[in-house]
Amino acid sequence: MPSSTTSPSRATLLRSLALTTCLGLTLAACGGGEGTGAPGTTPSRVPASGESAAAPERADADLVVWADDKRAAALEDVAQRFGEENGITVAVQTVSQDLQTNFVTANTAGNGPDVVIGAHDWIGNMVQNGAVDPLALPEAERAQFTDIALQGVTYEGKVYGLPYAVETLALFRNTDLVPEQPATFDDVVATGLASGAENPLCLQQGQEGDAYHMQPLYTSAGGYLFGTTDTGEYVPGDLGVGAPGSITAAQKVAELAQQGVLKTSITGDNSISLFTEGRCAYLVSGPWATADVKTSGTPYALSPVPGFAGMAPAQPFTGVQAFYVASKGENKAFAESFVLDAAARPETMRALYEAEPRPSAMREVLAEQSAADPDTAVFAEAAAGGRILPALPQMAAVWEPLGKAYAAVINGADPAQTMTTTGETVRASLQ
Amino acid sequence: MTSTPTRPPAAVPASPSPAAPRRGADAGRRSVTASAALLRVLLLGTLAAVTVWLAPALVARESWVGLTALVVGAVSLVAVYSTSRFVPAKYLLPGTLFLLALVVYPIVSTLQLSFTNFGDGKRGTKEEAISSIVGSSVEQLPDSPTYALTVATRGSVTEGPFSFFLVDTRTGEVSVGDADGVQEVEAGEVTVTDGRVSAADGWTLLTPRQVNDAGAAVQELTLPTEDGAIRAQGVARAFEGRTVLRHDEATDTIVNTRTGERFGIGVVGDSEFFVGPDGRPAFSQSWLQGVGLSNYERIVTDDTVSGAFLRVFAWTLAFAVLAVGLSFAVGLALAVVLDDRRIRGQRLYRSLLLLPYAIPSVIALLVWSNFYNRDFGLINELLGLRLDWLGDPWLAKAAVLLTSVWMGFPYMFVVCTGALQSIPGELREAAVMDGARAWTAFRRIVLPLLLVAVTPLLIASFAFNFNNFNAIELLTEGGPFPPDSPSAGSTDILISYTYRLAFGGSGAQFGFAAAVSALLFLVTAVLAAVQFRATRSLEDVN
Amino acid sequence: MTTPIPAPPTTAATSAARDSAGAAPSRTARPGPHGARWWREVGWRHVVALVAVAFAVFPVLFILSAAFNPLGTVASTGLVPRQFTLSNFTRLLSGERGPFVRWYANTVVLCLVVSSAQVFASALAAYAFSRFRFRGRRGGLLSLLLIQMFPQFLAVIAIFSMFSGVGEVVPAAGLNTLVGYGLVLMGGALLHVWLIKGFFDTVPRELDEAATIDGASHAQVFFRIVLPLIAPVLATTALLSFVGVINEFLIAGIFLTDDESKTLAVGLYGIIDSDRSNNLGLFAAGAVLFSVPVVLLFQFLQRFITGGLTAGSVKG
Repeated sequence: MPSSTTSPSRATLLRSLALTTCLGLTLAACGGGEGTGAPGTTPSRVPASGESAAAPERADADLVVWADDKRAAALEDVAQRFGEENGITVAVQTVSQDLQTNFVTANTAGNGPDVVIGAHDWIGNMVQNGAVDPLALPEAERAQFTDIALQGVTYEGKVYGLPYAVETLALFRNTDLVPEQPATFDDVVATGLASGAENPLCLQQGQEGDAYHMQPLYTSAGGYLFGTTDTGEYVPGDLGVGAPGSITAAQKVAELAQQGVLKTSITGDNSISLFTEGRCAYLVSGPWATADVKTSGTPYALSPVPGFAGMAPAQPFTGVQAFYVASKGENKAFAESFVLDAAARPETMRALYEAEPRPSAMREVLAEQSAADPDTAVFAEAAAGGRILPALPQMAAVWEPLGKAYAAVINGADPAQTMTTTGETVRASLQ
Repeated sequence: MTSTPTRPPAAVPASPSPAAPRRGADAGRRSVTASAALLRVLLLGTLAAVTVWLAPALVARESWVGLTALVVGAVSLVAVYSTSRFVPAKYLLPGTLFLLALVVYPIVSTLQLSFTNFGDGKRGTKEEAISSIVGSSVEQLPDSPTYALTVATRGSVTEGPFSFFLVDTRTGEVSVGDADGVQEVEAGEVTVTDGRVSAADGWTLLTPRQVNDAGAAVQELTLPTEDGAIRAQGVARAFEGRTVLRHDEATDTIVNTRTGERFGIGVVGDSEFFVGPDGRPAFSQSWLQGVGLSNYERIVTDDTVSGAFLRVFAWTLAFAVLAVGLSFAVGLALAVVLDDRRIRGQRLYRSLLLLPYAIPSVIALLVWSNFYNRDFGLINELLGLRLDWLGDPWLAKAAVLLTSVWMGFPYMFVVCTGALQSIPGELREAAVMDGARAWTAFRRIVLPLLLVAVTPLLIASFAFNFNNFNAIELLTEGGPFPPDSPSAGSTDILISYTYRLAFGGSGAQFGFAAAVSALLFLVTAVLAAVQFRATRSLEDVN
Repeated sequence: MTTPIPAPPTTAATSAARDSAGAAPSRTARPGPHGARWWREVGWRHVVALVAVAFAVFPVLFILSAAFNPLGTVASTGLVPRQFTLSNFTRLLSGERGPFVRWYANTVVLCLVVSSAQVFASALAAYAFSRFRFRGRRGGLLSLLLIQMFPQFLAVIAIFSMFSGVGEVVPAAGLNTLVGYGLVLMGGALLHVWLIKGFFDTVPRELDEAATIDGASHAQVFFRIVLPLIAPVLATTALLSFVGVINEFLIAGIFLTDDESKTLAVGLYGIIDSDRSNNLGLFAAGAVLFSVPVVLLFQFLQRFITGGLTAGSVKG
């Protein structure tokens, strides 16, 4: 060591560098040998010993389920029970980012899970990628589920997922600020403005717009996204964005923005909490908001979103949460059994409801829930009256431009022109 | 620790470089040679062992790229570290191998991808697409029973041959079958417990786990019946179904066996599909194909792509230059201002100024995007304003820059503080003086010296910001969007804009995205080269 | 070591400096505190620093305030916490929303290993580029700069399929493993070459030449003489590298799907993304804990960064 002339700090750094390097190399040597100074090509990394500090213990499970944060927690018990019954291990993995994309990619690469849980509007894309298999659900078992739930998981005439819950938007009203239930959306606007609340309505849009939350107003004014066949299947060729109904809707949006009812400053980050703090007279949101609203102690009443006076009823999107069998899972037999047998039980439906109260897709369980909780009954009613969210892969081309059109209109752009341009943009990207 | 390879081979003292005079070297060398040689032998031995251990696995998987990489890596390591020659290579090799394997190879793969149609609906092979189309066409026969399934074998539980014991869930009738057909089973021949066959003489019944592990052998077993076939679903169920579609290999068409319709291959867009008589895809599944230059053509010819390009490109440049320039200016100014040991609390200031850097950028960006909210944001609240930061094109640009400076200046501050220290004290002290002389001294002496050290960093930082996807995506998502252009927002930079084009349309289009990435790379590289020219900092490289 | 190391670059550095700068004026005498002169020379620096600190710190205050806010919503959070609770921290640490402690450990280990490896590999290469003249040197330096300019995440599809293959041969380094992810980050092994090389260039060559004449091998020169001299830049790059690794989440989000193998950035993003309205408190608490290693590392490295080449010698 250069001793005589070295400053203390230098010596310390050397020591610490040596320390970190050793630490690094030791760990790496256990974990996989990176940085041992023999960096060959990637495949040549060697796990020198089993008990590495870095290697996670996974993948050994006999059944691997992927879900997002919220649902993963709810599934843990169901999964463990299924594991015990069949004498196997079940792993529920949380994939918090882009679950659908990650699932499709991993499945194609052969690294995917056996079962995945997600919204029914993924089906179109998962099918075109051959990522999920249809389920042979006998008539008797189909009859257990509500019509709208079955409609959601049916794509091109086949059932692709086992539905467990439906979700849609409804109208929360702060009963301190607005005691009377509004009959039309015009009443919502009038009473909201008269209530003296900082914001008459919390309907999240943000600078990007939000086509999902705007859908009740869009449909009430006569807008549609894709036309449907007689059997209710969506037709990708019949685009409703840019059609006369959508322009009427955009004009309504502009009108509401001028009145200060719709604002781009109300976003997914703040809409629920503004309502729970009493700063919004009304809130348009889904079952996921119920817990927050209840916890906050805000006095509220729930009803389906009403339509504009003299116009069509407001039809929010109805989404269906479902279990899917991955096409390239390693344990397909277990996966099918898990989805068809374990997931389809009323007990499972109840457990999932306990973790996250959304109206069940199973008639029997829904009846119990609706009796026990009036909110669930309202959401179930709103879901049954809603329009099923299109599962077409083409929807990917609609969400963003339509949302942006709403944001632009709220910020003062010309409604008719904006909606027409948006229709053209969407049509162009669908080619 | 003594026997483990705690020092990289580069640390192995090799003999002096050929240029070095040999005089007086022997005493020093002899003391290290023995352990160095031992270390070298150990490391190269380990390397050989690893290579020998991995090679068969790679051969077995026909991973020729992997094998080539392994061999080339191993040979170059041996060549470089087993001799005393190639001294520079001893220092360069470790990093270079990482770079080649983990950056260059992926770039090359990405380039390859850009000549394909890889994307949603076009991910797998043609065989996979066909099997998905055909497999999805299995229909359960109307009013057919479902069965409680027990898989049995007279052979091995892993290899089969397998038979299915079936109990009709409605009638309780028991039958057994295999690929040759199904026969009824007389009552009493087998034991039925809880509606399923639980024992049968002469048969081994598989446990659920064995059924699962048998995999395709059970899953693909079909028991022919009059109208269709019985097949397993899961470990304990079976149903009678019919495959409506089949693939006719001779003509390469998909045939609907019920209606007789045939779907041949046709090209839609740049990809082959099985198409109907109208020439449109009959099934959404396509497959991975080479498409030549069509992704590049699309970038050039598609109006939605090229329409807003110039506007976006100009802002990208402005954003990158301003974000780096402003951050550097602020960071440098603060570094200079604080570079005076007379300042009490110098360390504290420095630590506090570093805080933005310590906050994970993901949360910082999300928090900042809330700050800019017109009605509920902290900035308007603190300043008593009602500015629609994210709704106005120019304010949104200002907001993006402000946040970038906040995130970027600590980095520049640290770098400049470090760089200032490498400039000898007397020079820096010139800048401590007040008045015009100090400024001149700083500009003429300190700044040039500093720039030599940090110019490459500034260029790298420029490149980073040029492609700073996170900053735009998490802050404004490219918005606000002019009403006539929902695909190109006011704060969109090239990478966020093109990624929206690649992924926002009909799902993910990886091939197209790869082409976009390749062009982005080209643009960035050209810009960097120009910049380098302009700053002349390459003089030093010569 | 038997041969004494030559004197540190005191004379060399300073004389070189004098040559280029002319006679630098000697330092002015220290003034008494708070005189007019103090204001002119030092006081204003405090003002600038305070303004900068205010700008730097107010978002941090907001995050702190959110971390201690029991409501955990954006709308209820200001710069100053209205209520105080540790519940966000206890909920995080209890593992209610995922194995936070595990993520933390993963992140710290990963950051230490990867950043030391990156700095080390960069320093090795920078030394070669600074000290040796060989064919392809200039081309190598330039291509390095160009290659590093390619954002790694643009190639994420290729990386994903590559590691999907690696995982089949060596499961411990495949997708969803920290080792595999660490390797991906080692793509940045030469990220800091340019910065470090710039500093190597400032270390006078006479120094290593003298040592070589005294019989030191090139490795000894590198490890025992030159490396210690560039401690400030090593510390700087270590910090930059550490922060770069700790913040990466685009690739990590795709690469690490298993709860046990996640890093903090991925885990925390999952928490906020699952409920953007309510989880700000948890997220902020996580961010506060997240920034602790970086702050600590800076505290530890600060004296090397700011102590500079001159700390022990020129000023001594």
